[in-house]
Amino acid sequence: MKPAPFDYVAPTSVEEACAILAEAHGGATVLAGGQTLMPLLNLRMSQPFILVDISHIAELKGIMRIDGGARIGPMTRQCEVIESSALQQHLPVLVEAVRHVGHHQTRNLGTIGGSIALGEPAAELPAAAVALKATIEVRSIRGTRNIPAAEFYLGPYMTVLEEDELVTGIRFPDWSLNHIALFRELAQRPGDFALAGMVGAMSIESGKITRAGLAWFGMGPTPMRASAAEQKLLGCSLNDIDPQAIAEIAITDTAPFDDPQASADYRLTVGTRLFANTLRDAISIREAA
Amino acid sequence: MSAPGNPPAQRTSATTDSEQQNGATKAAGITAGRYIGQRTPRKEDPRLLTGRGQFVDDISLPGMLHIAFARSPIARGAIVSINIEVARDVPGVHAIYTQEDLASFKVDMISFFLVSPDIKTTPLADGRVAYVGEPVAMVIADNRYIAEDAASLVEVEYAEEDPVVSIGDARTGPIVHPGTEDNIASQMGEEEIEEELAAALKSAPHLITHKVVHQRISQSPMETRGVVVTREGAQELTLYITCQSPHLVARWVSLALGLPQTAIRVIAKDVGGGFGLKNHPWKEETAVILAALLFDRPLKWIEDRYENLTASCQAREQEMVLQVAFDNDGRLLASHGDYSVNNGAFPQLSESNIAVHMFLWAAHKMPAYGFLTRGWYSNTPGYAAYRGPWGMETLIRETALDVAARRIGIDPIEIRRRNLLRLEDQPTESCMQVQLEDITPAECLDKLLANFDVAEFRTEQEAQRKEKRYLGLGIATYIEPTGGAGSIPTMTGELAQVRIEPTGKVTATMSTHSQGHGTATTMAQIFADRLGVSYEDVTVFEGDSSRGGFSPGAAGSRQGVIAGGAAIMAADLLAARVKQLAAHVMDVTPELITMDDGMLRVEGNAEKSRSLAEIANIAYGEPDRLPAGFESGLEAQYRYQPPPMTFSSAANACIVEVDAGTGFVKILRWISSEDCGTAINPSVVEGQISGGLAQAIGMVLMEKVGFDERGNPTAATYKDYHLPAISDIPDFEFLHASTPSQSVGGMRGVGEGGAIIGVPTLVNAIADALVPFGEVPVELPLTPTKLLSVIEGRDLGEKPAGEQPVIAASQPVRVEVTPAVITTDESTAARIDGDWNMALSTPMGAQEMTGHFETSGEALSGYLSSPEGQMAFTGTVTGNKLQFDLRVVKPMKITLKYNLEVNGDRIAGKCKMGIMGSMKVSGQRAP
Amino acid sequence: MSTHNIEMTINGRRHTGAVEARVSLADFLRDGAGYTGVHLGCEHGVCGACTVIVDGRAVRSCLMLAVQADSSTITTVEGLAAPDGTLHTVQQTMMDEHGLQCGFCTPGIVMTMAALTAGGKKPTEAQLLGALSGHLCRCTGYQGIRRAAQRLTATDSREIRGGEE
Repeated sequence: MKPAPFDYVAPTSVEEACAILAEAHGGATVLAGGQTLMPLLNLRMSQPFILVDISHIAELKGIMRIDGGARIGPMTRQCEVIESSALQQHLPVLVEAVRHVGHHQTRNLGTIGGSIALGEPAAELPAAAVALKATIEVRSIRGTRNIPAAEFYLGPYMTVLEEDELVTGIRFPDWSLNHIALFRELAQRPGDFALAGMVGAMSIESGKITRAGLAWFGMGPTPMRASAAEQKLLGCSLNDIDPQAIAEIAITDTAPFDDPQASADYRLTVGTRLFANTLRDAISIREAA
Repeated sequence: MSAPGNPPAQRTSATTDSEQQNGATKAAGITAGRYIGQRTPRKEDPRLLTGRGQFVDDISLPGMLHIAFARSPIARGAIVSINIEVARDVPGVHAIYTQEDLASFKVDMISFFLVSPDIKTTPLADGRVAYVGEPVAMVIADNRYIAEDAASLVEVEYAEEDPVVSIGDARTGPIVHPGTEDNIASQMGEEEIEEELAAALKSAPHLITHKVVHQRISQSPMETRGVVVTREGAQELTLYITCQSPHLVARWVSLALGLPQTAIRVIAKDVGGGFGLKNHPWKEETAVILAALLFDRPLKWIEDRYENLTASCQAREQEMVLQVAFDNDGRLLASHGDYSVNNGAFPQLSESNIAVHMFLWAAHKMPAYGFLTRGWYSNTPGYAAYRGPWGMETLIRETALDVAARRIGIDPIEIRRRNLLRLEDQPTESCMQVQLEDITPAECLDKLLANFDVAEFRTEQEAQRKEKRYLGLGIATYIEPTGGAGSIPTMTGELAQVRIEPTGKVTATMSTHSQGHGTATTMAQIFADRLGVSYEDVTVFEGDSSRGGFSPGAAGSRQGVIAGGAAIMAADLLAARVKQLAAHVMDVTPELITMDDGMLRVEGNAEKSRSLAEIANIAYGEPDRLPAGFESGLEAQYRYQPPPMTFSSAANACIVEVDAGTGFVKILRWISSEDCGTAINPSVVEGQISGGLAQAIGMVLMEKVGFDERGNPTAATYKDYHLPAISDIPDFEFLHASTPSQSVGGMRGVGEGGAIIGVPTLVNAIADALVPFGEVPVELPLTPTKLLSVIEGRDLGEKPAGEQPVIAASQPVRVEVTPAVITTDESTAARIDGDWNMALSTPMGAQEMTGHFETSGEALSGYLSSPEGQMAFTGTVTGNKLQFDLRVVKPMKITLKYNLEVNGDRIAGKCKMGIMGSMKVSGQRAP
Repeated sequence: MSTHNIEMTINGRRHTGAVEARVSLADFLRDGAGYTGVHLGCEHGVCGACTVIVDGRAVRSCLMLAVQADSSTITTVEGLAAPDGTLHTVQQTMMDEHGLQCGFCTPGIVMTMAALTAGGKKPTEAQLLGALSGHLCRCTGYQGIRRAAQRLTATDSREIRGGEE
């Protein structure tokens, strides 16, 4: 299990990185934290000509307040998100999602951008980006694109990212300070991919839900946005919500499959329960407060 | 540890103590000493904790090159061509070998029992491939990176054929190994249930038919397989290899390659777990050894995890149907078992697991048992051992007893109590003729229940069910044959060699081998205790075939029992010599001398005290001061041959909660009550049990080697092959019964038990939790999908194991033996008389023999001859059918009933061996 | 295939070398720098045997290229004990609790424990056991490892854990 040969470059600016990607015409692979890419390289499932290490590009790191939200550099390590008091306060659901990514040791090297750009359908962060209505900033020598996370994913490990494009930032809009955070996953062991999982947020103003973002992971070929359930929640007050009914609507936006860990039927059954329970628990905690 | 000069009262003298023990109790158990019975820190730990262990991948030799294999991407087919030209041109590649290059060596890929394989087995694929991952070519290169580059460039063209993957495929599918009649690798027992047994089953008030499907398991030691080979001149070969016994590997290589064993040195200082996978070399290791001989440079191959999970030998994958008949009180009346195990393509042993049947009801009052047991070839990696290879017996019995208890309406504990043998029932013999003298599963169960309030649990369970929380209690008991020696060539005694150095320190060389067993610790505890020295002053060496004597190392839970006995005996011999010399030097009688804390003291005469070092210096360096006839030096050795079998017993309980919403299982409590006799080091004992229990939890809940219908592995990494993590394993609670065994020291083996008893304990707990929903089919692993299917009463979609669809494209091409055609113009004598080369398929491999037949009308006479000798018989001939009996006395008194049929130049039939059932005989007319 | 000159501090000593781009940090530590206590159990980041401390954090050295670790400070299991051989607290605790059998997974487990307790930090039991869920051990059933972890954690960890759940 040793990688096939490749050249390694470590550009120090986004421009330089984009130039390398453009010149490679698809032969280059971006190395962020490497916690998913390295196994693929070791198994020779990925055999790039050039590996572009973006860890030396200062502008790709860090968590910043921006107008109306937070901007997270793709090279921000997952452990840094967990340790960020600003994110703990403003985007607790993202922090919670990151806590469930891999293991402690892989979170120390793994990055936010790496996980989001990879598009593993059972992973937490792509779903969190979709649910939290993040925008993914993408640069190439051709220019800049801002892609809503909900439009970013095409299939397992497939995204709209072109071969010359680099993710340069993920912008998470603010949710009201009193928003309700939703996160739950069912996995056999810590670090395993979820058999079923959901992530979401609901903003409440004057007792009514003014904004809702919900997404599934491990429940289809991509992170699955639960759009119908989001629509249904808008304008509701908390005590109007029937969690079971919302979950049954949400499950219609999934397309799970059989794998050795669980069947599609299993995922549908427990997914609905997990969704309803998460919503029910969050509401009861809020009502008790 | 006692303070110097203040020895515990009972340790007045090692020899005397041992004599007292032998006199006072029937068994030779040893009481807790300064070290024996203590949780002594391990000798192995300081080097392992500081990264100074020496595992095979840590070996680097000058000029060493690295190997990677090109492996088959298909499960079954012919090799049309191999092109190595492109690969050979990769810079840094030194050579590429295929089986053609290795063919000049005559290699006999023998089993652990040193028996030749039933089917042609070569290190690299020879014209055909029979499983995905089979090594086809090997690259020798500067480093592993380059070797893998080149291996990926070896071009092989295959003519792919439809594979045989599951046991079901093997029954009906194409022939795995061309030239064989069917896919049966090994078979014993009767294909039809005998009439008497069938009647007993049929007429019983309660008959339970219980099926268990056990998934395939990867032994998955954390250190994968690996070998470094260096040829030292024309005559010597040194192997660094991760293994379970360097001595066994040296013996295996000597026999397999036809080299003198003295020319082979095998070193394995630290080994990262074995669990049965590393009993002896197999295809890849053998290929590397041959390549090192051919290329004459030190070579290293370290298996990577992908290879380990997909191409190493694997274990389990069994199906069994058990019928058990009970009377109205839940007492056993009769039973029958039909067992199958997938042997893969090239098993390390053609295996049908006769031990499953031997021990299934050995601990129970079972009047009658019959069986059919078969191993099946398939296009999958070969079968090898895994901790408790016969463990299906405990799994199916204990789960069947719970099913029966529910069906009959009695308590699962009560059904066990009514049927288990107790100490007062022994000695006795089981229905399969297993001799039992001191097994204690019932007593272990008593001890367990004395420490666990079942009634309180049942009240709690009832209350929780009302809250829709599903708790379950699982109980299981078992016995385990351990420390076996004398019935199989490789299962031998152990050798202990011990000396007191001139420094007064103790050095021992043992035939043991640790892959985590801590034998250097436990043996040092014994020596320190018996020789009255500090534990810190004892060093134990092992792990090198050039030192110590032969033993198979870790195989069959044996080292504590046998090597422990050897260490005691060798230490006592040495202690007697020390006392003899000291008595002479001090001018007292030996009986007055005590040995403690490195000092020799004379009772009531402190002035005469001498240190062990002083006495040792005299022993080695001052021959004039030795008693007459006293050999210089302070050394002793003892090879201990234990009783043929030493049984361990246990009862376990666990409590689980099954989440009715998700089918997830949470283990809330686990109690192990085991009897391993004398526990030399309770922490080591508990470590062995804990590791086995964790593997049991893995087998029940998550581990599975799976294949798609083309024979491709579906779990190629640890992302898909789930090993239990710390979060999956509860705290285990331990009760030790400690009934001394008949072996010296009173130890009983404890290496495999956890992996055996843990499986039904957990399955029973899950089944008990889900009683409100129905029976849980025992198809491992019990995934959340399967359990939720039981809870919801609907199939949630996972295909049950064992019911894989038969591959549609494959045409059954099973070769049927041509029916007898008796030509009238041929006389009986012409058809039958003469010599026949025949093979008897035994559980230990094919036994070759020659049969000589002479007919006279319907009378038959002749003899069978084999390396063991020649035995004459008389019998009868009917048409082309021969019948005769042979009475043998070794290895047991038994009458062998032969029923053979001659068809042209072929002869085939069965040999019935009493309770062991029937074995296949086949052969042809001698040229 | 590019080759790179790298320099790093390993166990307090400076190491330099030229490495091919594709060489993993684990292979460099073992074969280039001689720290064979770094064990490779899976080479895909699941088993944890190769865990080392890079710039203060426990990471998988099989999931990092040697060239990525240029200019970093690394501690392997060989670097924990005192020069006089006195075991590090983590090592001593693992020994006291019979936390190892074959010892192959042990270096990684010890490094995770050492990283989380460095400088007198007292992780909660949940934090340490959570981090240890990233290590596979086939021998021990984790009993001694868990006891060692409990001894290394804050005494009030159960309370804190309750709060986190």
